[in-house]
Amino acid sequence: MSGSRQLSASQSPRRAISRSPSRLSFQHSPSPLPASHEPFAAANDETPVQLDYKPQFTLRGHKKAVSDVKISPDGARIASCSADGTIKIWNAQTGQHEHTFEGHLAGVSVIAWSPDSRWIASGADDKVIRLWDVTMGKPHPYPFLGHSNYISSLAFSPKGNILASGSHDEAVFLWDVRAARRIRSLPAHSDPVGGVDFTHDGTLIVSCSSDGLIRIWDTSTGQCLRTIIHEDHAPVMSVKFSPNGKYVLAWTLDSSIRLWNYVEHPGRCVKTYQGHTNKKFGITGTFGTYSRYEAMYQTENDKYTEKPSALMVSGSEDGSLWIWDVGNKKILQTIENAHDGVVFAADAHHKARQVVSGGADGLVKVWKHNIQTADRRQVFPKDDLDDEHQARMQDPTDDGSRMELDDAVVVKREDLQ
Amino acid sequence: MNLSLVEPEYLAKDLPEALQDCLKSGFSTCIRFNHRGDFLASGRGDGNVIIFDCDTNGIARKLSGHFAHVQSLCWSADDRYLLTASQDWSVVLWDLSTGERMRRVRFEAPIFLAELHPTNHLLFVCAQFDEQPMLVDVQEPEAVKRVLPTIPKRSEDEIANATEKQAAQDAKQNTTATIFSPTGDFIFSCTNKGWFNIIDTATCQTLSSTKITSSMITLMRLTANGKSMVINSGDRIIRTFELPDMTAPDFNFDNFQLEVRQKYQDVINKLSWHWVCWNPSGEHILASTMMHHNIYCWAEHLEGSLVKILEAPDEITSFDFHPYKPRVAAIGQDDGQIYLWGVPAPQSWAALAPDFVEVEENVEHAEREDEFDIQPAEELQRRRLDLEDEEIDVLTMDPVKDSQFQPGAFVMPVSMDVISDVEDEVVAIGAGQFRRKTPGQDWLTVETEPALSGDESKKASNGTRSAGNGGTKRKQRTD
Repeated sequence: MSGSRQLSASQSPRRAISRSPSRLSFQHSPSPLPASHEPFAAANDETPVQLDYKPQFTLRGHKKAVSDVKISPDGARIASCSADGTIKIWNAQTGQHEHTFEGHLAGVSVIAWSPDSRWIASGADDKVIRLWDVTMGKPHPYPFLGHSNYISSLAFSPKGNILASGSHDEAVFLWDVRAARRIRSLPAHSDPVGGVDFTHDGTLIVSCSSDGLIRIWDTSTGQCLRTIIHEDHAPVMSVKFSPNGKYVLAWTLDSSIRLWNYVEHPGRCVKTYQGHTNKKFGITGTFGTYSRYEAMYQTENDKYTEKPSALMVSGSEDGSLWIWDVGNKKILQTIENAHDGVVFAADAHHKARQVVSGGADGLVKVWKHNIQTADRRQVFPKDDLDDEHQARMQDPTDDGSRMELDDAVVVKREDLQ
Repeated sequence: MNLSLVEPEYLAKDLPEALQDCLKSGFSTCIRFNHRGDFLASGRGDGNVIIFDCDTNGIARKLSGHFAHVQSLCWSADDRYLLTASQDWSVVLWDLSTGERMRRVRFEAPIFLAELHPTNHLLFVCAQFDEQPMLVDVQEPEAVKRVLPTIPKRSEDEIANATEKQAAQDAKQNTTATIFSPTGDFIFSCTNKGWFNIIDTATCQTLSSTKITSSMITLMRLTANGKSMVINSGDRIIRTFELPDMTAPDFNFDNFQLEVRQKYQDVINKLSWHWVCWNPSGEHILASTMMHHNIYCWAEHLEGSLVKILEAPDEITSFDFHPYKPRVAAIGQDDGQIYLWGVPAPQSWAALAPDFVEVEENVEHAEREDEFDIQPAEELQRRRLDLEDEEIDVLTMDPVKDSQFQPGAFVMPVSMDVISDVEDEVVAIGAGQFRRKTPGQDWLTVETEPALSGDESKKASNGTRSAGNGGTKRKQRTD
């Protein structure tokens, strides 16, 4: 089992779902139909917005818990890694299994896509980072050696030339990807490093650790530029920059996800997202976008004008998958029983409107936003949809019954070793 | 993105302070940063061109195509194409998206310098040894070469009174450097007799000529904004000039005379200058000295006062200033290594903990009224959550500056073919003596490689001290 996710072989009993009554009622409230036909009714914060991600595929093959799952930057593939020491590549459109990469001698804890979607980096409990050529299905000949303990996190720089890795040896290493050579070691933390991430321009790196610190680093000089600590010192297990790089989102073991404004000194927590359960394992998630219109019924004349809103998706230890609105902290959707056991990882790709999740049950699940309902057709600009959906939008006989078809597509491909 | 977090004093520095790093790959002969400053191209004595990634100091690409001493390098405006000129009598245009040769143009003589048009990457000028300079259009695979004039433009009177001696002298003139004006409408060229010519790119006619010195001009460099020019010449004086806006409709070339703004020279030691360069803001001039291991920095805006001397471990034959950072890359003469100067980043202690503040002197702590009050945890948590009602935007990107990494701009693909660079490594075994680190199979191939002007590349690859560099060589030949 993947040590860095602290997963014991015997499953811990599922945690009881404990959420505040207000959130419960909110969550179970029927899909509201606003009576008004005003185009901007949806923009009103008071209107409860809900998203509708439905199961699209279940990807079977991993023999042990899935520790990380990521959609490629171009949206074409899904990569998952598991405590069984393998990395699997799946086609995001069809759910077909494409490759299985074997080579790690212990459970793989983390994977990262290169920005050109061609390479995958994997970090495992055998202290080694490996690269895999996804298009050719081949491993890179040189492993990245240097960490003295489990690898817990990886991130590519936006140009793809630097790989940052965090490890249980308490250091963050920066690697020259081309030469498989370590270029810098950041004396980062005094406890296992949980997560690392780059800003979109590659100038800053964030790292977090079980010692409760989040640190911001200058990529070019290796200097620590900011340190953020929450008063409770809860271990920070995962961290992500916001898409514009102005905030960092941190997962802590007090069942909270906090959004920090790190530019200010001292750093300030601007939002806290709660509801999920996270007390023991390193759980990750990511940012995504949605349009408020997606969830609303619109008249024929409405145009898609609103800027997309930010959402945030995360797994939970009770087997559910959570989606929050980043701006107002409201829960957009909760998928109960997404997995049997802890949901370790979740990733979103807004272009494809997909969310993927990986859990302790060894499954990878793909969730697709339900946009087939006739009344919701107007909500997307056409160029934002893939061809298949454009075709559906134009097909007058399409009554949305294909959604059930999608539901039925369950790929049961056994592991072909 | 990092600028808002970095100490302002650190950002305010505009000159490098300390030697920070050293890049090794063969014997480097010329170097150039790209416009975005994330890559450094290095031409080598053996004809290979190495592109270093400035983020990792690793090798991003190796371009093999020349088989003699690379003389000059020029990046296209979008950093996608690289033009290299070599002593093997050819100029190559590389497409860095693939790393392939896009065009190869052969000439009748070794090339001093080739420079791309500022906006059109398929047009370049080149100055050749003992031949006329040329404007070359490589739109089609078959290059179209146009000869540029070298003879200075004379007024009617001068032509009428011209003696035979003068005509003979004019005929002996040779253009030593050609560069484009910032807009690309004009070509600036200079000759071994100290003349500076402005040539119209469209008609290839000389519009104006100025005699600057009586000795050879070896180098011309413009500032990033194109408003100033620096010229290095054989008389050991560096001259700076202010360039007018030549594209203005009322600009008259007939009345135009280039006037020296500032002269830099070492009056006592009479040092000669290998190479000169502007810093990105155009406020400083840097020059490396012959026979001394120094780079001098003068402040152009402070009437040319000497502000800094960078000490190098070696004689610096050529160097380049980073396009927006206080960073200099320079080539050592002895072993062709590339030295990198920069500003060491200070550690801000306040960054290490959120409650750290740097103070000048001790401050008496005044306790707040409620500082040590014990609050119930739930109460605290509720209060904290209540404070979180601020509007935030995690999606909107800040507009990026030109110099920074921009999404959508050309990005050189990361090539994972790890370049074996062992063959290039030389180790010192004594004073001025070097040997290969691992003599192997490639040892033979280099020895037997047919090379046109092979002595240079052989010397470099054998590791013995190379005879010279672009600058000195040029002088020996033309003087």
